[in-house]
Amino acid sequence: MTIRVVIADDQAMVRQGFTVLLNAEPGIEVIGQAVDGREAVSKVAELDPDVVLMDIRMPELGGIEATRRITRAPGATVKVLVLTTFDLDEYVYEALRAGASGFLLKDASASQLAEAVRVVAAGDALLSPNITKRLITEFSRTAGAPRTPLKERVGDLTERETEVLNLIAQGLSNAEIASRLVVAEQTVKTHVSRILVKLGLRDRTQAAVFAYETGLIRPTGY
Amino acid sequence: MPRLHPVADEENLNRWERAALRPPELWNFEAMPLPPMARPRWLRRLPHVLIGYGALTLAILGSDELVNQFRVHGQYGIPLGVATAAVVGYAMRRPLAAWWMSLGIAALTAFAVGGQLPSGQPWPWTVPGVIANAAVLFLLALRVRTRIAVKALVVTVGVGFVFDLFGLAMPPYNSSSATAALVYAVVVLVGTSLHGRREARDRLAEQESLTAEERSRRTLLEERNRIARELHDVVAHHMSVISIQAQVAPHLVRNPSDELKENLEGIRENALEALTELRRVLGVLRSENPEGAPHAPQPTLDRLDSLVENVRSAGLSITTDTSGEPHPLSPGVELSAYRIIQEALSNAIRHAPGAEVRVEIAYKPSVLGVRVINTAPAKPAPPSPGAGHGLLGMRERAAMLGGGLAAGRTPDGGYEVTAHLPLQASKDDA
Repeated sequence: MTIRVVIADDQAMVRQGFTVLLNAEPGIEVIGQAVDGREAVSKVAELDPDVVLMDIRMPELGGIEATRRITRAPGATVKVLVLTTFDLDEYVYEALRAGASGFLLKDASASQLAEAVRVVAAGDALLSPNITKRLITEFSRTAGAPRTPLKERVGDLTERETEVLNLIAQGLSNAEIASRLVVAEQTVKTHVSRILVKLGLRDRTQAAVFAYETGLIRPTGY
Repeated sequence: MPRLHPVADEENLNRWERAALRPPELWNFEAMPLPPMARPRWLRRLPHVLIGYGALTLAILGSDELVNQFRVHGQYGIPLGVATAAVVGYAMRRPLAAWWMSLGIAALTAFAVGGQLPSGQPWPWTVPGVIANAAVLFLLALRVRTRIAVKALVVTVGVGFVFDLFGLAMPPYNSSSATAALVYAVVVLVGTSLHGRREARDRLAEQESLTAEERSRRTLLEERNRIARELHDVVAHHMSVISIQAQVAPHLVRNPSDELKENLEGIRENALEALTELRRVLGVLRSENPEGAPHAPQPTLDRLDSLVENVRSAGLSITTDTSGEPHPLSPGVELSAYRIIQEALSNAIRHAPGAEVRVEIAYKPSVLGVRVINTAPAKPAPPSPGAGHGLLGMRERAAMLGGGLAAGRTPDGGYEVTAHLPLQASKDDA
């Protein structure tokens, strides 16, 4: 099945470049482009893509606000992959909070780009677990005390589910979790989707953010 | 350098030897003119006029007293009386020299009248003598350090009492030494305290001007930091686009040769290295800046409309005028032009509520001209802190490009900011 992608960036060179690179990859097709956040929101509503590549800095409507609108739209399943020129900027944390599934540096290689789109679309692993983990830890450290309503929702999880959530937050893929817990990958997938439903989260990135934010996982030395 | 040796030697001497080498403090005849009053300005010479007038009066009354009360022959009495008073005038310029003279004249007077002192008259200090000496001591205390003033006081009082010793050989008389000592002590006390206050005030003013200088230097550095941040930011974005394009290019041709691919790979690698360095620099520049990363790209002149809209919504009427053939500008020029206009407009909003604003952009072959001019405010502007910082930043931005910026009031009470930004850096800059 082809992964359908929309690219939102205010620079034509970046849009065209990524379009060429992604269209050259098997199984990925760029179906639309947007020049700012506002257009991104309307293009997503119109074309219903699987993945949006979202630049953060855009005129009119910034990428973070656009991400928020896209991911909060009722019934939205689209995954947002945030593009930045600078890594570890504070707006990457903001983007994750706003509902982004991962982020990518603009100067990433073509293969990294395609890999990121595939991982985010499949949703069975965290994008670049190390960096994501570092980001999330940093993010939760600065976010302050865990919010109680969030914490209460953890109580809805079974022991197994809590265990799986823990492993997701550590950056493990479904396959890795399956071998760690000695179960079938399909079982892990079921656990993951139950976790997401129970916690009202859209994907495993958000689940990882949740785990760190509620203090379910204590950041240890990386 | 032989000239330095005495100084170096002096440093090795102990305190007493050094004190002995120094000329006596009371022997310093440098000019220390009485400063004019700070305000009101038209009265600044008042002290000098008053002292001059007082000295003149003292000369007449003093001479009269010496001749008529103390029966000194006019041939000596008048010059002595005039000299006593004249020294007061001289003390406005060289207080220590005047003080020595004043002491000498007082001694001469004491000798002159001591021989045939009429009964009941004060001695050794005559009344005009006390007034003159007190005035000189006062002027001296105003100008010199407290220690020197006290020394002069002690010597003056001492001279009076020494005369009293001579007076033991005279018929009984009315000694003025103790009263004079009291008067002298009071004027020196008042003089030194005024002197101290003035010094403290001067130091404070100096401190304040230093602080202001420090502040403006810091503002300048902050502005430069901001400019550097923005430019690095723009460059980093361009670099990342280069890295993308270098990757895309081989896809655009059928069967790209290996040389082409290698070349493009080289371009990409260089761009990535440059980006790594830029990120490092930006990390440093950003760490000093709490405002965080922007969500919008660095602006260009295309975004002028939203600026204009802001001004309009602030209640000012605004017109824009572009002359010449618009053409692509370098990111630095574009960003600087935008920021200068932005700053000038925000100044207009702040200082000229209700005014009419005009923005002019002139594209010339080698220069971009920018002018923001506003009429006088329709109503008085509320006072706003932090004024002037913007101007500094605008100047820096223009100067960075080798251009210039002028800002000032217009004859009709409005304000004008004009900048010219060379489109290409001059060759000697490169």
